[in-house]
Amino acid sequence: MEDKTILELKNVRKVFGQIVALDSVSFALKRGEIHGLLGGNGAGKTTLMNILYGLYRKDEGEILLRGQAVNIQGPRDAINQGIGMVHQHFLQISNFTVLENIILGTDVKNKYTMKMDEEVIKVKELCQRFGLNVDLNDVMSTLTVGARQKVEILKALYRGVDILILDEPTTNLTPQEVDALFESLRVMVNDGLSIVFITHKLREVLSVCDRITVLREGKNITTLDRKDASEEVFVRAMVGEKMDIENSIYFATEERQAFDQTSVEAPKLKLENVNLISQDAVQRLKDLNLEVFGGEIVGIAGVAGNGQRELAEVVTGVVPVSSGKKIYLGDDVTSKTNEDLLSSGFSYIPEDRLSDGFLPKATVAQNLILGQHRIKPYSDGRFINWKTVYAETTKNIKEYNIKTNGPGDVGGNLSGGNIQRVLIARAFSMDSQVMVAHNPTRGLDIPSMDFVYQKMLSRREAQMATLLISEDLDELIRISDRIAVIFRGQILGVLKRSEFDKYAIGRLMSGITSENQPSEEKTLP
Amino acid sequence: MTIVKKSLPYLLAVVASFVAAGIFIALMGFDVFKAYQTILFTSFRTPNGFIQTLLKFVPLLLLALAFTIPLTAGKFNIGGEGQMMAGGIGAAAMGIMFADLPAILLIPLVILGGVIAGALWGLVPAWLLYKFNINEILTTVLFNFIAFFLIDYVCTGPWRDPAAGHPTTVLIGRGGWLPMLINNPPLHSGIILAVLVAIGVYIYTSRTTGGYELVATGANPRAAGVFGIKTRRMFVLSLVLGGAVAGLAGAFEVAGNQHRLIEGMQSNFLQLGLIIGLISRGNNGAVPFVAFMIAVLEVGASAMQRTMMIPVEMVFIVEALILLFVLLSDVVRRK
Repeated sequence: MEDKTILELKNVRKVFGQIVALDSVSFALKRGEIHGLLGGNGAGKTTLMNILYGLYRKDEGEILLRGQAVNIQGPRDAINQGIGMVHQHFLQISNFTVLENIILGTDVKNKYTMKMDEEVIKVKELCQRFGLNVDLNDVMSTLTVGARQKVEILKALYRGVDILILDEPTTNLTPQEVDALFESLRVMVNDGLSIVFITHKLREVLSVCDRITVLREGKNITTLDRKDASEEVFVRAMVGEKMDIENSIYFATEERQAFDQTSVEAPKLKLENVNLISQDAVQRLKDLNLEVFGGEIVGIAGVAGNGQRELAEVVTGVVPVSSGKKIYLGDDVTSKTNEDLLSSGFSYIPEDRLSDGFLPKATVAQNLILGQHRIKPYSDGRFINWKTVYAETTKNIKEYNIKTNGPGDVGGNLSGGNIQRVLIARAFSMDSQVMVAHNPTRGLDIPSMDFVYQKMLSRREAQMATLLISEDLDELIRISDRIAVIFRGQILGVLKRSEFDKYAIGRLMSGITSENQPSEEKTLP
Repeated sequence: MTIVKKSLPYLLAVVASFVAAGIFIALMGFDVFKAYQTILFTSFRTPNGFIQTLLKFVPLLLLALAFTIPLTAGKFNIGGEGQMMAGGIGAAAMGIMFADLPAILLIPLVILGGVIAGALWGLVPAWLLYKFNINEILTTVLFNFIAFFLIDYVCTGPWRDPAAGHPTTVLIGRGGWLPMLINNPPLHSGIILAVLVAIGVYIYTSRTTGGYELVATGANPRAAGVFGIKTRRMFVLSLVLGGAVAGLAGAFEVAGNQHRLIEGMQSNFLQLGLIIGLISRGNNGAVPFVAFMIAVLEVGASAMQRTMMIPVEMVFIVEALILLFVLLSDVVRRK
């Protein structure tokens, strides 16, 4: 490998309002390497790369590209300089074909006839060279997340970049797709490209990166060669000195005792043949059966958009089922609304915290009682007991480490991670029999994630039922007693803790069950 | 300390708007200080001025609440005028039809007639919103026009007072007149009820569970719905409450001031109500204070016109400027 620095960021500083997002961060990328940028949420990884890509303006510092100082004003500049970025949320037009998406915004030779033979040849050549197999005539909306990501990478390669930034590229990929991605990345760097790989997943950087830079709270912690350092070094760098790694769940290595189903007679929550047909006549949930016992954490795995949100909303009563039965503590609650369920022992952490879970114009205290505002101790049914509410809020702010000026602070002043903490505090502060948590740790740093896991395990100890819906397969494997895999609104399989296997779950996530395996496998590229 | 800090932008906005309007008054060739003296002190110099201010304060307060109550739930009621007129019609209808009833029956009947008519005028747009998702801004505005023509019909129809030169109904029954707190100059007792309504609204929105649901709905209807609040019902409730409060203002005009229904009684209370509601930033607790301040300006303005020949619209400019500066202070603070 050529040992030459192609890109260097020196002492970059960026301040958002009062928050220092990046504090004199330096970063150097060598030609032909995969460089991991590792850190928890809020460490500043994405901010740093957005500055490089021209999406944010830096406050201080300089960028050296091939030894020369450059001033990048926007993504167009960045691409012209040979820097491409694949965002966590793809920027694609879903009713265009793959080819149309790739060439969109570039100069096409036959502008008026739109004959794109030359372009097709060029794209096909790229596909072949890097093992990125997609059919150029497929319409975007029909593709899986993995395929759409390939398109996003092709988009960058087609524009001739030699530095590629990938922001959390493995979110929503099955383990099989992750392996394929890593192979393609390896081919690319062997071909002379340089890749920055942004992630919070330690195991991924260890398996694919050549060098790793760790960021924490907007500061450079260290840059190390993969082969020079052990896992422990990186763990410590990621979380800092304060966290107790020995007793953490996030980094736990020993096997936890799985839930023993024989000790409990009836499940706390049971779904029987639940179907949900949406207003536009699409079947969102199909013949869904699920049981959650007290003292158990049931995980729901699946690629985003396969009915997870619908499942959460059906269980919590936000939307009524089209057919089927819901049984809670032995009673039929199929026709109960979320108003009834929330007052009788359900709690809910919605996935989309800003739109579904938070009142930005209301105070922190008002936010914390949402859904529990009709029941004791917060209300006698008519009047809200603000004294109790404020006392509880003050307690929760401390316990859940919510950074705010106090219970009366306006919710809109909080950062994303702190909003998530408010939602977590709201759900965990009541002793709910059934909790539905949808991506509860999104946007949290590692110590906070660990805190949520501790809380979930103590719910488990207290014989309460928890339904954890998550896009993070590692998280599910870490904490669930059973994992049910959802695909196109159907539960394709339920695995016990002793049977957990990343690849088996990954197969189910892409819709391959043992019965249809042979025929499906053929259609896969 | 925090109160001082919070009210500072408001004070600055008021001062800035007076300065800006003062430049115009000076350019028009009038004495700025004398003009402002008239505007600010007319209300407090004579008992008559103060009572006039209070009389102005009542409909302003109620019309502003008619705007801010639905605003708490995130809905815009621009139909306060129509609801007030409907309330006036309802009150006058009761007062004329049951003219012979004694006061103990007729007064509640007249007031209820106004409140219910106003609530109905708010209910129709609310129902259209609930059932068909029709934008309430549009419907409430359009319902103002319906009320215009309705009041025209009532004042020129069977209840017309042929002796009057202006479209007017006959007097309502003596028993429907609100008792006077002071006879000369006249101050009717509606102000007590109006202040009680304002206090009630404040307590409802800030202390009760139902009021919390209203606030939560206004803060983020989707999240409120996810957590079990029936937001569409909240929309209806808030618009009906707003209509009822505006209807009460109409009833007071009929039963307290004119003792009959007069075309044009709505004055420009709607716009002033919106301005008061927006300067208060939808805070129901702040509305009475802002409403009183605007009432002082309004009364001062007519005095200024009488004594100095400065057009009364000058004050409207000041009020609009206060609003602009308050909104501006929001933007500045966010930067």
